[in-house]
Amino acid sequence: MAIIGQKLVSQIRETGWKATVAQRTDDAFTRFTAGLTWDDVRGILRGDPPAKPNPRVKPHTEGFWFHIRPTFYHEAVTTLYPTFRLGYLSALFFLIETITGMFLMIFYTPSPERAFTNMIDILTNVPFGSFMRDLHRLGAEAMVVVVTLHMWRTYITGSYKKPRQFTWFTGVILLIITMFLSFSGYLLPWDQLAFWAVTIGTSMADAAPLVGREVNLLLRGAPDIGAGGLLRFYLFHVLLFPLIGVVFLGVHYYKVVRWGLSLPPEMEAIGEDTARKVDQTKRVMFMPDIITNEIMYAAVAMAILAVSSATWYTAPLETHSNPQVTPLHTVAPWYFYWLQGLIKIPHILPFPDSLNMINKPVDDLFALVGLTPKMLWGIVVPPIIIVLLFAIPYIDPNPSRRYKDRKIAIGLAVAFELLILYLSLGGIPTGVPGTGFGYVGGNPVVEVAQEFIPDEGESEVKAIPFDELIVGKYPLANDPAIDEHKAPHLREIVRAIYADMEHRKHTADPLGKKMPEEAEGDVQVKLLQEDLKEFIITIRYIDENQSPQTFSKNAYIHKNSDYR
Amino acid sequence: MNLFYKIITFKPSFGLRIVTGLVGIVLSLATCGIVGLTDMVAAQLKTNDESFEGRLTEAGAKVYFEQCARCHGLQGKGADGAAPAISSVAFLGTKTTPSQRLKDIGWIGTLEGYIEAVTASGIPIKSSQVWEQNHPPFSQRFGGPLRDDQIRNVTKFVANWKQKPFTDGVVDAPKPGAGSGPQPTPIPLGPKENAGLEVFKGAGGCTACHAIRGIATGAVGPTLNKLASTAEKRVTQADYKAAGGKATDAAGYIRESILAPNTYVVPDCPQGACASGVMTANLDKILKPEELENLIAYLVTLR
Ligand code: HEC
Ligand code: HEC
Ligand code: HEM
Repeated sequence: MAIIGQKLVSQIRETGWKATVAQRTDDAFTRFTAGLTWDDVRGILRGDPPAKPNPRVKPHTEGFWFHIRPTFYHEAVTTLYPTFRLGYLSALFFLIETITGMFLMIFYTPSPERAFTNMIDILTNVPFGSFMRDLHRLGAEAMVVVVTLHMWRTYITGSYKKPRQFTWFTGVILLIITMFLSFSGYLLPWDQLAFWAVTIGTSMADAAPLVGREVNLLLRGAPDIGAGGLLRFYLFHVLLFPLIGVVFLGVHYYKVVRWGLSLPPEMEAIGEDTARKVDQTKRVMFMPDIITNEIMYAAVAMAILAVSSATWYTAPLETHSNPQVTPLHTVAPWYFYWLQGLIKIPHILPFPDSLNMINKPVDDLFALVGLTPKMLWGIVVPPIIIVLLFAIPYIDPNPSRRYKDRKIAIGLAVAFELLILYLSLGGIPTGVPGTGFGYVGGNPVVEVAQEFIPDEGESEVKAIPFDELIVGKYPLANDPAIDEHKAPHLREIVRAIYADMEHRKHTADPLGKKMPEEAEGDVQVKLLQEDLKEFIITIRYIDENQSPQTFSKNAYIHKNSDYR
Repeated sequence: MNLFYKIITFKPSFGLRIVTGLVGIVLSLATCGIVGLTDMVAAQLKTNDESFEGRLTEAGAKVYFEQCARCHGLQGKGADGAAPAISSVAFLGTKTTPSQRLKDIGWIGTLEGYIEAVTASGIPIKSSQVWEQNHPPFSQRFGGPLRDDQIRNVTKFVANWKQKPFTDGVVDAPKPGAGSGPQPTPIPLGPKENAGLEVFKGAGGCTACHAIRGIATGAVGPTLNKLASTAEKRVTQADYKAAGGKATDAAGYIRESILAPNTYVVPDCPQGACASGVMTANLDKILKPEELENLIAYLVTLR
């Protein structure tokens, strides 16, 4: 202490206050940046040419954060193509998710008694709470998109080929981790959407032969998802998966630096890899060029995410999870629609009957070892896809990365993508609107009511302004007795229900079911409390057994509930 | 193709990068600022809070109609012998006066606390002979069917009646201690009345729709526990006379109600307002004259 003090005193004596402070500050700054002085950083941000010897490589050799970033890129990979910065953006989203996730963690308790209440607290009591939640949810969905696109681009540019096979391998692990992170996070709000999507998701594991039951028990902590399951999914989500993610992100990044970014395929001789042998004149230094580029990408991505979260995007929160009531048309997250499509495959084949000739013997064969078709498509096929993904660099016999030499590989990939798209469309819970593709609805009478008062989620009925809900009973008709000026929305809904019912009388649904001819009904609005009304759709019809039936479905609507 | 190539090989100049980056950063920070302002200054949080309170009350309504209405009635007005009125001024109080009921029983917590406690755990001891059953426990913690979030929601729903309770509650909610102690011995029925009771339970088919404590639990028509007393009051009412009612005493009223049920339609049934034309209208053809007389003799004893 004494010695440092003496040094400081003598320095002030020799050079004066100002110079001492300036020198010491710069010193601290330089230590912080692992080798760059304040003037160096300013120079980088102003685009000045570097001094010689170049001080800007110091952080790469001396600092921790930059030692896994290259000191320079080949000029040819600094444009949008070939990377589109998708890998970088994946890492950025991983970071955004970590930060917003830590914010949410502060207010969240992984217990069935508290989780849902905590979610409401976050939305109603925590400043920035709903913003952070929207950021986290939208960020997660964006990350799935970006990571998938990144995989696509490395596939298309053939970047997985020698010597980058292992980069690809770790990449597939990161893809799986990304998916698992999304899926495990899906359960945490503990609402109906969360509970049932995850119940159905994990029940696929249950269907697996031999170990299915055990795996399911391990995941859920009990035969059904409950306190144990929620805690486990929480720990997976905030601990296990991020940990594996960080480890493989490190390996992945290190491999990228080790081999360099692959050059555009046409620039290299077939089978050669020249990414690390960059001519002095072709080098683009990380500082200042790449780093400003990356900061720009981060800023733009962040701005898009923030503005979206603050405006059009709102993360859904449905009613508290209820193990006793399965909502009609349970929804998986959209990036798992393809899996749902796989399970529904018999429904969505374009020519189911003719294919039965092939389908049936296959099913029979699997039945011999105790596999049902659902298991086949839900349990056997997805792992095969994943194993194939891992294996791609090791089984692709073609040494060339050039597009014109890889017609088969690229063709297969496009075909695969079209298949996934097809399955995803078929996996939409209510089928593709307007086409009936993938439709698995039930009784048309129930479907009409479900259309206007869905078990969960937004609905036009709940969005009717409270004052327009005029107490009364309105028979379904094209011209209902409702004042057009006082209650235009209510009137429109009653008309729409009528139109839907009539439509279903004349056109059978994709499964051949029709609404009975004589069906008629009404909409009733009741006042239950000063600020609470009930909206009831009742449909009366004669069923196949000629006996009269009444079906009704209701929704409670509070003045303030404001479903957006 | 050329344009495509240009786009994908686009490389922003140094200046463009700095400017775009700055714009992005400023936009992000501004968004955060605006979100902070709307959350805290423009009371967005409060709006969200009201919105969720509303949604939870909706969820509570569902629970109420599934679990509670069978005893407390669709409008919370209670039902004779089954449950007290809870949509009442006496129970809920008003904006300015606190709940009389809570004062009477000496509950020192909040109204919401009381509702939640009673609903969750039930009332473990028999507090009054007025009620056929003790309050059942509803929370899963006490062996009931509901999760605690459902209990909290139904509490919100019941408390929400406070803005405009359906009854003043003086008639429907017995004072503590009222009716406690040994139950009054029922008036013994003579042979004629006993025969009438058998008609009520048998040939008349009345039990399908009407409730009489200890005898029938029908929930379509009005409860008949105190039929004779209400009948005496009713025959003097203006709306009864206006509807064309001619009876002047309880027996006459009951006779009329059975033979011409649609003359005067009772206002309150367990499921809401009573509807005309629901009660069997041709009982004079179904019952023998003697049976009818016995039935009326029995019903007159219900006080
Ligand atoms: C089996 C019939 C029954 C059902 C079902 C029932 N209750 Fe009750 N409730 C009663 C009875 C009886 C009492 C009076 C108990 C007493 O005072 O000992 C009562 C009392 C109450 C009270 C206190 C009223 C007062 O004046 O002290 C509240 C609040 C209440 N019930 C709420 C509910 C709610 C909420 C539900 C639905 C979850 C419900 N009850 C379901 C029979 C029922
Ligand atoms: C199909 C259902 C139904 C059946 C069966 C039925 N009732 Fe009723 N009853 C009603 C309804 C609904 C009302 C109220 C509407 C009205 O006043 O007409 C009512 C009203 C009454 C009233 C008037 C109650 C009052 O508070 O003023 C009496 C008395 C009565 N019923 C007796 C009987 C008797 C006795 C029988 C059996 C012979 C019987 N009811 C069978 C549905 C029924
Ligand atoms: C969390 C997920 C991932 C992150 C954060 C990530 C990150 C990165 C980064 C930053 C790069 C540098 C090049 C670029 O920016 O495009 C890269 C390259 C690469 N990634 Fe990923 N990646 C992820 C997932 C994947 C997946 C799913 C795959 C493939 C299955 C994959 C395969 C590759 C390959 C082969 C390269 C080398 C590309 C080349 O040299 O041109 N990565 N990754």
